[in-house]
Amino acid sequence: SSQLSSLPLQILLYVNGIYYIFYFLATLAMIIYKSQVFSYPDDLLAPDLAVLFLMGILEVPRLYLGFKGNLTEAEAPLGLSLGLTVGSVVLCVYLLLWQTYVLWADVFLNAVLLSAYGLESGLKVTAIAAFVS
Amino acid sequence: PGDTRDAARVRSAPAPVMDVARLCVCDLLVAQCDVNCCCDPDCSAEDFSLFTTCSVPVVTGDSQLCNQKAAVYSLDVEANPPERIFKLIDQVNPSIFCIHATNYKQALYLKSPEIPTPENFDQLLEKFGGATFRAEPDSWDLDTDAQNPPEANETSRYEYGVPVQTEDAFLRLPSPVVSSWCSDANPAGFLVNQATKCIRSVSVEKCDSIQALSMLFYINSSILAVPKSSQMVNITVQSIVVQSVNGMRTLLSSSDVLRLPMVLDELCINAVLGVNYHITHTDMGEIIEAAAAFVLGAISKEALSIEQSFEISFTQENTQAVPLSGNPGYVVGLPVRAGFQPQGYPFPAAFLSNKHSQLTILQSTSTQDCLAAQGARAPVLFGYNMISGCKLRITAAMKCQPLAQTLLDVLKGQSFPEYVASFGNSQAQDVLDWVPITQLHISEQMISYTLQSSCQIPVSLGIEVKWTKYGSLVNPQARIVNVTATITTTTLKQLPSGRERIIPITSSVVFTDISSPAEPSYKAWPTINIKLPFDFFYPFV
Repeated sequence: SSQLSSLPLQILLYVNGIYYIFYFLATLAMIIYKSQVFSYPDDLLAPDLAVLFLMGILEVPRLYLGFKGNLTEAEAPLGLSLGLTVGSVVLCVYLLLWQTYVLWADVFLNAVLLSAYGLESGLKVTAIAAFVS
Repeated sequence: PGDTRDAARVRSAPAPVMDVARLCVCDLLVAQCDVNCCCDPDCSAEDFSLFTTCSVPVVTGDSQLCNQKAAVYSLDVEANPPERIFKLIDQVNPSIFCIHATNYKQALYLKSPEIPTPENFDQLLEKFGGATFRAEPDSWDLDTDAQNPPEANETSRYEYGVPVQTEDAFLRLPSPVVSSWCSDANPAGFLVNQATKCIRSVSVEKCDSIQALSMLFYINSSILAVPKSSQMVNITVQSIVVQSVNGMRTLLSSSDVLRLPMVLDELCINAVLGVNYHITHTDMGEIIEAAAAFVLGAISKEALSIEQSFEISFTQENTQAVPLSGNPGYVVGLPVRAGFQPQGYPFPAAFLSNKHSQLTILQSTSTQDCLAAQGARAPVLFGYNMISGCKLRITAAMKCQPLAQTLLDVLKGQSFPEYVASFGNSQAQDVLDWVPITQLHISEQMISYTLQSSCQIPVSLGIEVKWTKYGSLVNPQARIVNVTATITTTTLKQLPSGRERIIPITSSVVFTDISSPAEPSYKAWPTINIKLPFDFFYPFV
């Protein structure tokens, strides 16, 4: 039988993983830059850093479950990954809109990540539909 | 009703102006046009036509923002009359790290200060009530607590300027603060030789109860040998001088008895008029001896205040203090050191340099009579040109030769030195560091036929000290190179009997700087000297 695993999803997940590493380091560097150049009190710096690290922690199982679900053509891990994606989207929107300082580079990086998440979610839904049926 | 009205009337700070078009930094005068201020709303078109430039050309918010409004003011000088141009433009920051948005209100604007209310007043007073504010007071307190213990171990000796500690507080040296009244809160600093004079208010009736007039006040607390230690040094009484009401001072033979002030015949006797502390210390910064010399006096009934003088001096144990006039170059204002050389030059050579053989010049007195002014001399201070003199009254009865000798003594003093130290710290053993004084004789009247017959009397002594700057360019030291003492003599004409003449006698000291202009020079770069050996190209050459 023909394979049900989605190739575009696989490619997107792979690229997402690499992009995410770059995104995490760049955002962390920019937060450090902002804390030096602008007035960044500790009680506002802590939530921003917490959100970034939480997103990083969520990303690892999210991508792993995505890979596993897609390759083994199982809908449960893929569904779990979709759920984690929702959480990541929320955190990404926070970093895009409600950070203390949103630089133009922040806007760009987060927009790219959001579009990647959106596309991934769409592909996951179609893959789950394909696996279930 | 009064409370509610007050509560409703809580003032708040005026809202900050955020609109760029209405913000004007140069608008300082209220309801008047500021010169060259193009954004001033009080200026009319006629005022603008008189401006030359715009002192504030652009008003923007934070330049880090990606996109913001900017008000641009400029003067169009081409138009007649010149007019102001106001443009509201969008300023774009092209950097990728420009601030797109911020959720932190105070990030780009100054914080509005809190208005004090009865609720937050105490908290605001605690935070801002002191002389300094600290950003994070809590963490700083922790640091200072941690630092204190290690510091205590380090100060096991006195250092220059550290207050000399006693049992209860510090060794006090009363001195005038702001006004001339004595303040007892001035501590004496270690190795800081001080002399102070101040006025204390007294009353004869209460003179035995005023602490500062009693000897005990100055010697009762012992000095700590090293700071924060338990080793004590008692202050001994070195000598007591009693000053009588007419100013005559007598040194008491026994200084063991403590003399306390008491009222006697409407006078308060044994009141402390001066204290002179002598502290002996080791070279490790430890105080080993302390002595105080007192001047006691009597205060009369009418006196409402007395002047007290205090002095403190530090000497190292087993050393003889020699006051230097500079280290090494002479310091302006310190006496020029001079001395004699005992017979036996060049071996051995040692100079006697004591106070009596200092380089001195005649000191002018109020009587201005040369013959009556015996002995009053002023030390020659480095860098200070001085001139002094007196008037000599010559009568017919005066003999020339003794007069000439007397005048020479008056001008030169009892022991005119032979050598002057070239550096402020020249040691007596270093012969080459001492400059001989050249003595010159100039006769005022070069009339040949009278030169041998009549006698000459000296009328002026001029000491010229030539000094040069020595050493490095950034810290030149003064060094005396040449000292010349010139005696000018004049003929004494015989006077007819009954007549008298007044001749002015002068003596002067002049310091001349003969330093040659200095040129900065730099160390030459090391050069590489490569030379091949003679037979390098053997056998081809």
